[in-house]
Formats: sequence, C-alpha cells, structure tokens
Amino acid sequence: MYGWHGRLLRVDLTERTASIETIDPKICRDFIGGRGVAMYYLAKEVDPLVDPLSPENKLIFATGPLTATPAPTGNRYMVVTKSPLTGAITHSNSGGDFPTWMKRTGFDLFLFEGKADSPVYLWVNEDQVEIRPADHVWGKDVPTTTDALLAETHPEARVACIGPAGENLVLMAAIMNDKHRAAARSGVGAVMGSKLLKAVVAFGNKNPPMADEAGMRNLSVTISKEVGVDVKKGSNLREYGTAYVPQVTNTLGILPTRNFLQGTFEATSQIDGVALKNTYLIRHTPCYRCPISCGRLTEVPEGKYKGKGEGPEYETIASLGSACGVSDLAAITRANYWCNELGLDTISTGMTIAAAMEMYEKGYLTEEQIGQPLRFGDADAMIAMIQKMAYRQGFGNELAEGSYRLCRKYGHPEIAVTARKQEFPGYDPRGSQGMGLLYATSNKGASHMEGDVAYEEVFGVPVKIDPLTTEGKAALVARFQDAFALIDSSGLCVFLAVRYVFNKDVMIWPIRLTQLMNHTTGANYTPEEIMKAAERIYNLERVFILKAGSTEDTLPPRMLQEPLPDGPAKGKVVELDKMLPEFYRIRGWDEHGVPTREKLAELELLEF
Amino acid sequence: MKVYVKLIATYQRLLPPDASGNAIEVDVPEGTTVAQVLLPYGVPLDDSSVIVLNGRMTDLNTPLSEGDTVAAFSAIAGG
Repeated sequence: MYGWHGRLLRVDLTERTASIETIDPKICRDFIGGRGVAMYYLAKEVDPLVDPLSPENKLIFATGPLTATPAPTGNRYMVVTKSPLTGAITHSNSGGDFPTWMKRTGFDLFLFEGKADSPVYLWVNEDQVEIRPADHVWGKDVPTTTDALLAETHPEARVACIGPAGENLVLMAAIMNDKHRAAARSGVGAVMGSKLLKAVVAFGNKNPPMADEAGMRNLSVTISKEVGVDVKKGSNLREYGTAYVPQVTNTLGILPTRNFLQGTFEATSQIDGVALKNTYLIRHTPCYRCPISCGRLTEVPEGKYKGKGEGPEYETIASLGSACGVSDLAAITRANYWCNELGLDTISTGMTIAAAMEMYEKGYLTEEQIGQPLRFGDADAMIAMIQKMAYRQGFGNELAEGSYRLCRKYGHPEIAVTARKQEFPGYDPRGSQGMGLLYATSNKGASHMEGDVAYEEVFGVPVKIDPLTTEGKAALVARFQDAFALIDSSGLCVFLAVRYVFNKDVMIWPIRLTQLMNHTTGANYTPEEIMKAAERIYNLERVFILKAGSTEDTLPPRMLQEPLPDGPAKGKVVELDKMLPEFYRIRGWDEHGVPTREKLAELELLEF
Repeated sequence: MKVYVKLIATYQRLLPPDASGNAIEVDVPEGTTVAQVLLPYGVPLDDSSVIVLNGRMTDLNTPLSEGDTVAAFSAIAGG
C-alpha cells in the first residue's frame, strides 16, 4: 500500500498483550485515515452506550496518510474515543513531533482496549512492542514523566502521556505530547487514565512509500513557498502565534468575557500577542517541519508566576484570561503551564472556573463551599482552582466534572455555557451566527475544531462573510464540518489546510488536498469522492452519538435568550431556529436530526 | 471630525511611531470614507485584509461619522 501502512497495533491492557492487524485497504480509502478510520473501528467495536471510563470503552490514537510526509503541516494525530465529558464521540487533535514519530513506528493506529491492573506505558520501537510498568511515574506531572520515559527508552523517541488530571479521571483531562502539546478536549486523558495507561512512547524509521513522490514533493514545495511569501509579508501566526486573536475577537465583540456575560474585555491589550511578544516570548516553536510556526516558547522570569513552557495560545487567553476576568498576562501564562504540566484542557478548565466565578459572584456558591473567595479577576484563586481540579481536592472535585454538571448540581444550569456538555471555545456565537450552529450540531460538543466557520466569519479566510447574519450558514457549516473531517483524517493541520489547500471560495473545496492525498496514497480520489468520504465520517459519528443518547442540537439559554449587552454584536442572540431546519435538510437528516435511511445508504453506512 | 483607526497585530507597525497601542485618533473632513481613512497607513485594501467599521462588516466606500472606529487586520486565521 501507498500512504497508509495498513497496520493497526491492538493493545489489550487487561491481558497485557499487543497484536498487529492489517487494516482493510477499502476501509482506508473509504474513511481516509486518522479520525475517519479510527471512527470506523470505534463504531465497529464499541457499544455507543458504554460507560466512557469503563474497560469496555476503547481509546484510539490515529495518524493520517499525510502524517510524516513532505506535505506542509503533515504532522497531526487524532485521539478518538467516547468522551466522559460529553457522552458523545470525541476526536481530539494534536501536533508537535509525536504524530510523525508515531507514524514512523510502522502503524497507522494504536488501539487500546480493556484496563491494566496497575499503571503501564506502551513502548513502540517499530515492531518491538512492550507494555511496561509505569508505577514509578504514576502521580508525576507531564514534564517529569516525559523525561523519565525518554531516559529508559530512547533519547530520540517522543512521548504522549497523561498528568495527574488524567489519572484522577478529571473530565477535561488532556493527553499531552512533547510536554507542551495537547490532544486536549473532551476528557481523552481521563479515558487513558481509566485504563491505567500513563504514556505512549514512539520511535522508528518506517514510512509507507508514496505513490508519486516527485509529484508530492513538487506540490509541497509550491505550498511551502506560498506560506513563505505570506510569512515574509508579515504573518500574524508566525509573529504573535494565535495570541493575536484577542484583539480581533474583542474588536468584533465576541471575546468571551466573564463567563460570556460580556463580549468585550477592557484589558485585551494587556493579554494579547503583542503584549506577550513584548514580555515573555522567547521564540516561536514549530511543530515538526511546519512552515507556519505558531507555537510560543515563553518564560515568566520572576515573581510568583515564575515559570517556563509553551503558550498561551488564543483559546487559553480567552478561557483563563477574559472569561475569568483575569488581566494579568503573567498569571495566565503560568496558569497555562500548570494546565500543561497537570494535563488539563485549558478551554474547559478556564470556562468551568469562569462559570464557578459567576456562581460565586451571584451568591449561588459560597466561600464555605469553595473554600475561598472566587471572584472574577482573581488570578490567584483561578490558579488555586486549577491545581485542586487536577487532584480532585476539595472544591476541585466539583470543578473536575465540568461546568455542565457543576452548575446543575448547585441549582443553576443556566450559568453553564456548554453544548453537548462541553464548554465553548473563544468565540461568542451571538456575534458569529455560524459558530452558533456549529457548536449546537458538532458531534464532539462545542468546539471550533469541528468546522471552524470563524475562518470566514471572523478571519476572512478564504473569504470574509458577515458574522451577524444567518443566511447561507447552514450550508457553510455542513461544508466546513465535512472539510474538517477530511483535514483531520488526512493528518494535516487546519491552519495550513483552509488557507492553502482548499479553493478560495466561500464554499471551500479540496482540489489541492485531493492532489496531496493522491500523490501519497495513489487512491485516485476525485474531490467529490473524498468529500463524500468526509461526509461518511461525519455521518458515522452522528449515528454513534445519537445511539449514545446525545440527541440535542441546542445551545444554552444565555446564547438563545440573553442578548449580548455590549460591543458590535450588542443585542444579538444566536438565531438557531433559523438555521437548524435548513441544516438538517442539507445534511439529508430528518426533522429530528437523524440521518435518513437514504442518506446512510448513499454513504454505505447501513451496517452501522 | 474625529475618528479612530485601529490596526491589529502585524498591521500595528503601520501606525506612526508616536502612536501608543494599536489605535490612534485622527481628524478627517466630513465625507471621508473607510478606504480614505486607511490610505495613509498602507493597509492593503483587498482580500488580504479584514476591515470593519465599529466592529461590523462594511463597504470601503462608506462615509464615516464622528467617533467611528475603523479596524483592520491581516486575513490569516487561527484560534
């Protein structure tokens, strides 16, 4: 086979055995790779009603055909499992180095099932596969674990692991790789922790051959040159990382502020990318061979927030900054380091603390219940909560369940800003209507990474459209959801993909991405076929989440009934009812959002 | 009349050296348009920029009113 190894490593943690399986080439072609092929296995092997933290759930690491190829940003992997936070499917994506190292082991997928009876880690050095004891690193943070496992395996290997948050089954626990990168969302780290799997260490030098190596190199060079021209002109992502975005969202009035009570933050200039560059930035840090290089190596050199690491990125600034009313960039940066070290998703962590802050400010939670005051803007209280969350200490045990469960438990479900029980990322959809439809319908719950129409509504890539209108958004969201399923399954990064490998039309279309896939795999996809495969993946996820009982495509009352009180989107709510019926129609789903038999037949999904 | 020009991220360097932060107040004649107020700074007036008036989508030929803010940034996504 070209592009795909066509090999899956199945790890039975209960029996402590590993076996190598062949992946049917038709499955590779029909489900592209990465997120898609992983979803196929999950749907085949896991009952949608399974308890996500039970041994019966499975955890899949998946690379795509473009992972570890010359394709620029071809360096992503996905973690696919049933989420303990949402009760639905999740596919959590990360870069760094680990994805390429994982692909070079000679496997496309690592599939974990069962549960170990004591902590273990997986060491894969091509076909030398060992399930080793991990008692000595259980309880350790991410950097300590990473260093220890590199020392006892191979200094040039790469590590993905959980921190204390994953071990303690915190529902927003991440899987961290290369110390600072996160497959962050939906509690994938808790699933790993529930299996007593502390880490995966990967090394190897096996890449599948490419069908047309020369074609692949030529197209990759062309794309890299285009990126280079833009970087030379001045690239926000290169110069500031995603941390430049708070100024943009604040200007549009969609920067989540004080748990979405507001859409503008008065201290934005103190916490944005320019401020970061002028203070704590050491240098930009690319994922492996990435021409964009949006990562930030930073250091807070002194004071009570002293530390060194990577970040903060935009989402972290929005969640641990404006959403919590925190205007101290040193505190946000240190809070980011804590999340990375403890293995927490910064989005759900910050947004959950923000919800608790609102509960406290309104008197719904008391100092006695929390153990201390928890006002908006109190950076030290926020950091204290992060640490308590990771270890489920005191009130941290409540926060560790996420804002949906927290707010319900204390009698105020309206405070939680979630969709499918997952916290919103950093775009208030009242001022970005397409994002509202996206959050409401995403298979993994509120997430910008399942079809980020903010590219067009906010960033003007490839085309600027009005974020405040609903016309045309149903078709746009469906197209972006399928396009992102394709990007995630291929192994590319969305930052490059949307701008450089899709056509520059409102309804983005994957001409170049299809070429990259064909050069790699020799599968001779047409763009229509590959988008049909992406739609197949999206619908298979949909079938799974409906069977799992995650049937409500809706948004919290704050988004549907409370108009934004300030900024350019003042007076707006999400007009979901104007978009949802059309979205279902475009998707080929019935009026309840269930894929019709005809649609499933068209996508060859009737067996599921 | 007084209006504000806000240039975000990489565009901030297009502001005059004495500007503090990413916005400046400028005095312009009545009838000045979005495009005209940006002209002195060299902001690309094409698809490579996102340009908003008071945070909302705008036509570049829209005449400004007292107190308006025109903001611009390079159209590169990320979040």
